[in-house]
Amino acid sequence: MRKWLADNLWRHAVGILVSFFALFPLYLVIISSINPTGSLQVSSFIPKEFSLNNYQKLFNDPTIPYLVWMKNTLLISAAVAILSVIIGASSAFAFSRLRFKGKRFGIQLLFLVQMFPAILALSAVYVIMERVYNFAPGYGLGTQPGLLLVYLGGAMGVNIWLLKGFVDSIPIELDEAAKVDGASAMQTYWQIFIPLAAPILAVVSLLSFIGTFNEFILARLFLVDMNSRTIAVGLQGFIGGQYSQNWGAFAAGSIIASVPIVIIFLSLQKYIISGLTAGSVKG
Amino acid sequence: MLENIFRHLPKVLKYVFLALTFSILVMFIQSAFAKKEYEIGAFLLLAVIAIAITYLTNLSIPLKFFLPGILFLSAFVIGPILYTVVMSTFQYQTGNYISKSQAIERVQMLGIAPDEANTTFDVVVGTYKNQFAILASDSLNKRYLISTTSERIDLASDLLTINENGVAIKSSDFSPATSDEIAGLDRQISTTRFKYDGDYFIMLEGSSVGAVARQVLNYKASEDKFINLVDGSQFVDNGRGNYANAGNPEDILQPGWRSPIWFSHYLDLVKDESVRSPLFTVFIWTVIFAFLTVLTQFALGLLVAIAMNKPIWGRRVYRSIFILPYAMPSIMSILIWGGMFNTEFGAINALLGTDIAWFQNATFARVAVIMVNLWLGFPYFYLITSGAMQAIPSELSEAAAIDGASPRQIFARITLPLLLKIVTPLLIASFAFNFNNFNLIYLLTGGGPRNELDGQIAGATDILISYTYKIAFGSNIQDLGLASAISVIIFIIIASISLYGVRKSKVLDSFS
Repeated sequence: MRKWLADNLWRHAVGILVSFFALFPLYLVIISSINPTGSLQVSSFIPKEFSLNNYQKLFNDPTIPYLVWMKNTLLISAAVAILSVIIGASSAFAFSRLRFKGKRFGIQLLFLVQMFPAILALSAVYVIMERVYNFAPGYGLGTQPGLLLVYLGGAMGVNIWLLKGFVDSIPIELDEAAKVDGASAMQTYWQIFIPLAAPILAVVSLLSFIGTFNEFILARLFLVDMNSRTIAVGLQGFIGGQYSQNWGAFAAGSIIASVPIVIIFLSLQKYIISGLTAGSVKG
Repeated sequence: MLENIFRHLPKVLKYVFLALTFSILVMFIQSAFAKKEYEIGAFLLLAVIAIAITYLTNLSIPLKFFLPGILFLSAFVIGPILYTVVMSTFQYQTGNYISKSQAIERVQMLGIAPDEANTTFDVVVGTYKNQFAILASDSLNKRYLISTTSERIDLASDLLTINENGVAIKSSDFSPATSDEIAGLDRQISTTRFKYDGDYFIMLEGSSVGAVARQVLNYKASEDKFINLVDGSQFVDNGRGNYANAGNPEDILQPGWRSPIWFSHYLDLVKDESVRSPLFTVFIWTVIFAFLTVLTQFALGLLVAIAMNKPIWGRRVYRSIFILPYAMPSIMSILIWGGMFNTEFGAINALLGTDIAWFQNATFARVAVIMVNLWLGFPYFYLITSGAMQAIPSELSEAAAIDGASPRQIFARITLPLLLKIVTPLLIASFAFNFNNFNLIYLLTGGGPRNELDGQIAGATDILISYTYKIAFGSNIQDLGLASAISVIIFIIIASISLYGVRKSKVLDSFS
């Protein structure tokens, strides 16, 4: 009995302490969001009053276009998630299934490219998109379509790499059977590969959804206009270091924005963890 | 009939899609060349040719699958990487942002000086005999004149309509412009030189005041230099994107242009004290930050994994709680922590009963950064290490136990070494990731605290990438050239670290 206690007690002690550490900020945000004063000051760690003032402020205050930010974020993230997988899947298929000259070199190059942190080329992307703005104002710096293009390009390397890894694990026998029956590469791709890979494509596109949702620096550089901002840029500008003023509404806003991501993440846990061990780290 | 349509539908769709792509791209190519963006225009042109060859012929089947990916990667990753390298060899900053010919034009336009009496006129903009002209009044001396770019006509006051301030507003040959017309003439108004006397001309400041001035800086194209007509000093191309006084290199003309300076930025990183010393400090902190982050995240993750490595009561609940920080969008978490570290009202000070100014003190700010990153990242290592511990065959520890090893010995001599071997590549990858963890630094402390009085850009918690961002976008002088040079250096560091990590993992692969 004593031995059992000694062996288990410390495990629970670690569990409880670390749980406290993990939950503390989340708990604080929740109680802040229902605190009627909406202030940053913690008068008590146990909520005494309950109100939805902060949530109402978020949706009714004309100076906080929260719904517009949310819509922008969802649209951009969804577009990146879908388009990048559509474009990436065909490249991943070719790397994984087709035989061609220079395949080894191609894979090595892809590996190098996907390793490059996009943020390092920030100045160059900025200048290039500034020039695009010169002749195509709808697609250059400061526009959502421009940002979307940059995201698509930036996510391409990692996505192809990730997809290739997953696709390699799909058994090749079906493809080969189709080939024996005289199917062309295109037919194999559309009729055999895509249906087989559909669940994987869905997972990768959700991962890239989360990644885009979490992107801050490019969005911040691109989206200056209040109504074109994403949720990350919007909320950051909204508290802008002056936490004391808008804390309650910010807390409410961050909870609403986080819930869908947390749900997606938890439901994809298994895949994310296998992707993690493949060496990619979530941003 | 219907069957036929269905059979051909994919083909029809393909051609419709191609036609659309072509027309959009061709439109962009036209406007790119029209606006003299030749590099981008040429890239788009190549893209169109590549698309046409790939999808209208059967030259290469694999390319049909690759091309969209290749085009996006070249446009937004490989292109910018190469461009970064190019930019790092240029003087490319605020004041040196335009091309040389534009700069010469600007210097010439700005290179004027007022006459000694500082003569100014009240001015009405309009037309005289269908020429762009001004009606100028010197109300003090009761002098009135009409001036165009080529002639000046002095007027007597009795022929004019003069308002209560003594300013002429109408004359027989002169028709004033309406305010709408003035708004459309903005550029002409600010650049036109109206005739005054000899070398002197009238330049407008706004649309109602004109000042007498003359050209002082004269460009001599044959020798590529500016000559000051008043004191005779000469300004020559200083090789760093500016015209500088031949007698005094510090005296330069603005604006400059983006000029190739080859490896000067890289040499500055080593030689120039004002560049080297902040960069070195930031570099040291970046390494310490990334190292401490990986160390603390791994240590806590491992501790939790060991504690949970037994089916204790409530393990599933614990597990779900531990994953939460990792599942939260990191941007939101960082901003939340930012509020919690607030000095006056923050929850951390309330919890500890202190009133520490976390982000105003270098040491406290660094502790805060590491702590927040620990919160963000320990679940990752918990997940990784608990997975890895499952993968270690239990025969090893059982055999050791039979040989009389204590649990502590088994952990230290068998489990930990094997575990480290498995996770080393991931530790390296995490180091590389945190080396560039811009969001954390930028959103939590903004790189601060820094001593603003000494004019430094770098703060105590700035890491290389946030420092680079500040150099490029964050201060009064936006130095894209220097920022690019630092980016190239960071990339070399990151690539070496990552390749080292990959080699480690390859070594492991060959064993398993």
